[in-house]
Amino acid sequence: MTTLDEFLDFVSQELGLNVTTDDADRHVDELPGWDSMFLLTLVTALEQQAGRRILLADALQASTLRDVHELAVDA
Amino acid sequence: MDRRDIHVLAAGTVLPGPPVDNAELTRRFSMPPVWEEWIDTFVGTRSRHLATDLETGQVRWSLADMGEAAASRALQAAGLGAGDIDLMVASTASPDLLMPATVNVVADRIGVDGVPTYQLQSGCCGALQALELARTMLLSGGRRTALVVGAESCAKHLDLTVDVAKLPTSEQINGVLFGDGAGAVVLGTDPVPGTPVLRGVTQRLVGLGREPGQLVEWFGRADRHTDRQAVREEYKAIEESVPPMACEVLDELLDELDWKETDVDFLLPPQLGGRMTERIVGGLDLPGATEVSVVADIGNTGNAAPWFQLEQALPRMREGDRAVGIAVESSKWIKAGFALEVC
Repeated sequence: MTTLDEFLDFVSQELGLNVTTDDADRHVDELPGWDSMFLLTLVTALEQQAGRRILLADALQASTLRDVHELAVDA
Repeated sequence: MDRRDIHVLAAGTVLPGPPVDNAELTRRFSMPPVWEEWIDTFVGTRSRHLATDLETGQVRWSLADMGEAAASRALQAAGLGAGDIDLMVASTASPDLLMPATVNVVADRIGVDGVPTYQLQSGCCGALQALELARTMLLSGGRRTALVVGAESCAKHLDLTVDVAKLPTSEQINGVLFGDGAGAVVLGTDPVPGTPVLRGVTQRLVGLGREPGQLVEWFGRADRHTDRQAVREEYKAIEESVPPMACEVLDELLDELDWKETDVDFLLPPQLGGRMTERIVGGLDLPGATEVSVVADIGNTGNAAPWFQLEQALPRMREGDRAVGIAVESSKWIKAGFALEVC
């Protein structure tokens, strides 16, 4: 999962949120149905896949899915 | 003294087992550390007590066990015995069995018999519904002392084999919000110096046309293998609706009693979760009142929560002090409150 599109597919599958490339730069709070529990679920799934920790504090700094993707790639 | 006053004579509570903190909960469910950080940050509940032993999976306390202990402690604190009780009302969302009602098992254990007993099937407003029913029955005459019990157990829903990460978020949230426990209060018609008088109880359904915010299924032989989600919390609807509903309850109580906001010395707010309760208290804006909350340490104990708060408030109330308690139930949306005054 290195590309943004792969990451967005992952988000759609894991969270059941229908997100496209157009949503990558929207503030996560603007995504329909988004809330802090989705961030938790997403970080948990990303950690599992990356096999490394992602700090919640860092995830909370991410305002868009593109930011979260960068965290995941960095991890 | 108005001879129709109903006095709150004493309260008693019990928590099963040691506190389970977020680190232990996270470890036991094999969740990653981020889960613990999330509970700390967004839920704000530090620990809870559980009837189930998390290591062995054994249920160490039934609801009746907890109800019995809380009722016994409340009676002892009131200096009364089972023979003094003229009626019992219990409330819970998690009875041991549908029949017999847990209230009657508790009555049997503590030696209460030959009096009316009721059990309300209820959520977070149940304690105040039970309070209102007991108060009304005492006011109707012929009875002097009532025992009100509220208790909750998550044991039926605590599946230690489940992969929590795969559960829907609306189910995961329940696992971190709730705690087990029981509380009881003794009400009496006879004035006892220093005990607060119940000035008012309000509770009403406001769920017309609204989707439920909290659902708890029950299963029998025909549907026990169903795929239906056993518990579901619509936490976004709750976050949005509960704070303003709590404000409405406060306004209605103060109007009804002709009390001013500055008259309230103790505030017993809804006990949803540490952060939610902080938000609610902020919105209620009663800077002169001392908040009495327990949720951050014992979780949301549903029908028991107001009695834990009351147990802490009672010894702190002095002559002339006034207290207001508020509960909001998101199941089909009920709001409730009560007011006390030491005369």
